[in-house]
Amino acid sequence: MLLTSVIIILREVLEAALLLTILLAMSRFIGLNTRWFLLALALGGLGSIIYGNNLAAISNAFDGTGQELLNAGLHIFIYALLLITTSLMVINYYRPGCRLSLLKWCMLLAVMSSILREGAEIYIYLYTFHTQPALFGSVLKGALIGAGIGFSIGALLYYLLLALPERHTLLITCILLTIVAGGMCSQAVQLLIQIDWLPSQMPLWDTSALLREDSLVGQLLYALMSYEASPTPLEVFLYAMSLAVMALTLGFTHYVYRSHAHVPAVAH
Amino acid sequence: MRSIRFFLLITLLATIVLVNFVAALQGYRGSMSEAQRLFDQQMVATAQLLSTMPASQQSPEQLPVVVEHTGPMAFQVWTEKQALLMRSVNAPETPVSAFAEGYREVNFSGFRWRVFSHYAPQLPGWVLVAERVDLRYQLADRVILESVTPILIGIPVAGLLIWLILARGLGSLRRLAAALQEKRAEDLHPLPLDNPPEELLPVVSSTNALLARLQESFERERRFSADAAHELRTPISAIQVHAHNLERELTETSAAEKPDSLQKLQGSVERMAHLVEQMLDLYRTTPDHYPARFERVDLYALAREVIAEHYAGFACRDQQVELCGAPADLCGDRFALSILLKNLLRNANKYSPQGGQIEVAVNVLSERDEVELRVEDSGPGIAEAEYARVFERFYRVGGDRHVTAVEGCGLGLSIVQHIAQLHHANIRLGTSRFGHGLSVQVRFPLVNPVGENSVSESMQERATKNV
Repeated sequence: MLLTSVIIILREVLEAALLLTILLAMSRFIGLNTRWFLLALALGGLGSIIYGNNLAAISNAFDGTGQELLNAGLHIFIYALLLITTSLMVINYYRPGCRLSLLKWCMLLAVMSSILREGAEIYIYLYTFHTQPALFGSVLKGALIGAGIGFSIGALLYYLLLALPERHTLLITCILLTIVAGGMCSQAVQLLIQIDWLPSQMPLWDTSALLREDSLVGQLLYALMSYEASPTPLEVFLYAMSLAVMALTLGFTHYVYRSHAHVPAVAH
Repeated sequence: MRSIRFFLLITLLATIVLVNFVAALQGYRGSMSEAQRLFDQQMVATAQLLSTMPASQQSPEQLPVVVEHTGPMAFQVWTEKQALLMRSVNAPETPVSAFAEGYREVNFSGFRWRVFSHYAPQLPGWVLVAERVDLRYQLADRVILESVTPILIGIPVAGLLIWLILARGLGSLRRLAAALQEKRAEDLHPLPLDNPPEELLPVVSSTNALLARLQESFERERRFSADAAHELRTPISAIQVHAHNLERELTETSAAEKPDSLQKLQGSVERMAHLVEQMLDLYRTTPDHYPARFERVDLYALAREVIAEHYAGFACRDQQVELCGAPADLCGDRFALSILLKNLLRNANKYSPQGGQIEVAVNVLSERDEVELRVEDSGPGIAEAEYARVFERFYRVGGDRHVTAVEGCGLGLSIVQHIAQLHHANIRLGTSRFGHGLSVQVRFPLVNPVGENSVSESMQERATKNV
């Protein structure tokens, strides 16, 4: 029970922790205060409890596909927010102070949605076992270990990003956020396949022999880029498309603002 | 990084958690497979024990023997011809597994079981020993979890210990920061940090070297100022004497009036002498440099002395000077306070018209623990918009710093401000009670903490010298 619990909680915590730490490090890099982050944590936590307590109603909606639809919607929403956030970060690099409040709101909503989604999963999982004292101890300890590993990776990544040379910070955080955003789209696609909104197909390949999904590295890759050992062609196509859209948007923004930059990039 | 202590706590704790938890998981996995191996060995031992039981010697009508055994384990003993010889009460009457040597996982009686099939040649027949998978897993889980629990409890303890250790480790850095923060601008003594750690030694050494260089530089500047003052005062005094002699010679030899150019020369020399004195006062009273010797001073008596010293100036302009108030002791530097009074009185004297009125008041404001010095004149006063600027060096009201009807160099109020800062006093400008003049209020704290220290330090110094 312990191992299952570790894997489930680690996956959820890691997913949220990666997004949180990248955005928090970016916020520090731009020089924003971190009050938005605390507000996002509080709202996300509250939202996940409300979500967990109303799970039955949510699941029964839309002919029993409510939960999957809501989760897929949250993932797509986070993808859109990350697209705007990273574009605004690039703009801010060349024009410091430009649309900072919009950037802050986008980051707040992205972190809040992520915590809402992952927090609700954790809440539901732990709530299911709290009536089984024989298993709950093991589940709780597993959850603590999973959360500990997840938060530790997040904390170390945060300080690693802060320690990066300033000229590379934007590029690296944009690449990481693009990968995370692509993962969000991929998870949305998986959920939509589950409820037959998208067709299920034969897997394109199977790498489970090479890297199992439930291994620590597998979980880390799942959290970062929604690693799946046997993805379908549609999943691979949509994942690649989401990455391409984000990369092209960022490249275009970078090109436009660099050529019209009033402040040289090196002076930032 | 906002705080070294917080950064170290988080990164160290995250590293410890990561390494410990991943190690605990590996340990858990290893222990679980070891526990499964032990359970399997226990099943083998049970099978071997059952193969020696004399069930086969029972009469056929008494078979199979049903053993009242309910627990996580079940067993069956079969003949080679697949006739059931013996079974536990929780085992079915049909074979729970295939008759082939080894372990298998099967379902019966509503549970998942791990079954060990063993051929016993002494029977001859098959012994099948089964154990509930969920129960043996739970048992192993419970035992192994006991070893994981201390790691989980240990993390907050480790966090607390790291926090305290970091506080101890960063103590020298904190003390260095405090020593630098508490250092007064004029204090250029080396940092009082005994045995600093190796990492801080370069910082302390370079700061102390910098302070020593600063001290030398200030000393040079002080010497230069003293020399310059001496060098400037002597020729100015000589020029003044010569001009006076020239005036006497001219008036003695001819009845003609004093030449205009001589009058201008005397005026210019006087202004130069005043400027040199004021510049020296300004330099001397700079709070960062001034070697203050604080003592109990009666400001009222001091004001009386200064007025008396400069009475000639007031008398020659028929001005009326009034000193009001009462004796007021404060902790201050007598010399600096007399310069402050001299400058305020000189301003009042200069700007009040012929026959004007000047009032000096010294009062103790006991409800505020302050001593107030107020100098009010009956001059033209200063517009409120100029209040802040009049304390700037060389600033003169009206924007003309060089040509004015009233002599002056624009340093008087800057000197007053320096001396006020030295005494932690507040200066307020306003309109005098005469309706149009300037009122300067200087409020001194009754007890000056810096001053008290300086008094005790100077007393200590004297005591040491006496010894």
